Amino acid sequence: MVPALRYALLLAVALYFVILFNILSRRRLNLRYSLLWIISGFIMLVIGVFPEIMTFLTRLIGIKEPANGLFALVCFCLIIILMSITAIVTTLNEKCTRLVQTVALLEKRIRELEGQPVRPEEAEAFEKTGC
Amino acid sequence: MKVLIIIPAYNEQESIENVVLSVREHAPFADCLVVNDCSTDSTKKILRRLGASYLDLAYNLGIGGCVQGGYAFASENGYDIAVQFDGDGQHDASCIEKLIEPILSGACDYAIGSRFLDGAGPGFRSTGSRRLGIKLLSALIYAFTGVSIRDVTSGFRAANRRVIELFSREYAQDYPEPEAIVAAAMKGFKIAEVPVVMHERSGGKSSINAFRSLYYIVKVSLAIILRRFYSKGAN
Repeated sequence: MVPALRYALLLAVALYFVILFNILSRRRLNLRYSLLWIISGFIMLVIGVFPEIMTFLTRLIGIKEPANGLFALVCFCLIIILMSITAIVTTLNEKCTRLVQTVALLEKRIRELEGQPVRPEEAEAFEKTGC
Repeated sequence: MKVLIIIPAYNEQESIENVVLSVREHAPFADCLVVNDCSTDSTKKILRRLGASYLDLAYNLGIGGCVQGGYAFASENGYDIAVQFDGDGQHDASCIEKLIEPILSGACDYAIGSRFLDGAGPGFRSTGSRRLGIKLLSALIYAFTGVSIRDVTSGFRAANRRVIELFSREYAQDYPEPEAIVAAAMKGFKIAEVPVVMHERSGGKSSINAFRSLYYIVKVSLAIILRRFYSKGAN
């Protein structure tokens, strides 16, 4: 890996962590969902500090340029994060469906309770006791 | 025996009145619940005028979530049998009694109203290409569950208490009919097919057009295969 690429990577990773922790500290990102981002950033940091790892790995799988290996790795991290987002959306979707159904059941009950005429004996009891 | 007729309805202003009236006429022993899937036309107005019992969904959930809402209602209010009956006028209310018969006698847990069985009478049998798709799914379900059902996409079905409980917990969201059969079969429920008459829809538009058919087949096939593996993992 050429030094320029290495420094650029380190700089990018530093910026990445600043933004990430900024979002985290303002509680705009759930810590649970941020784990993948933190792990991906950490991998990039390790590669920036020890570029030999990337050189070794890319040679191992037959990629000539470590830069291309880095590119593939970033793609892989993104795919994993996207998949986890799809999984999160699926869960949210299910919860939303449940919620809509539950609200509909409650709405029907309220509608019927409000629409029901008061039974005479209830009205009488109300007049006598006031409750 | 408490029986609930669940009628999913999405923009069915042309047909919903006749459907509700004919269900009331032919199945006076049952309660009728229309699930209004956030219709944008006057479906809700018509339901109010008819004094029909209905659920009003806040968002459009699609047929799966819509029907599941009905099953949740059946489960919460202690119904013994729930019948699914389309709001577009495709189904014939005079067949409801025949459909719940095998459930009442305990012959099966889940009864599917079928257009294709002998004794189904004249009536509408769908177009050629759709029939081919249905045959394919039917064969797939047979291969993966050993349950032989010919009209796997039929939305005219009846479920007993235990199947109601299952469906109110989990039900497929889009194109749920074939998947529901697989889900019930995987839990070991007995499924039977009952010949019924169906008509061409009297109003509105089918939710399935030519372009979506391929998606339908691929998605449902995948779902059937995945379910087989889920249940293997769970055992």
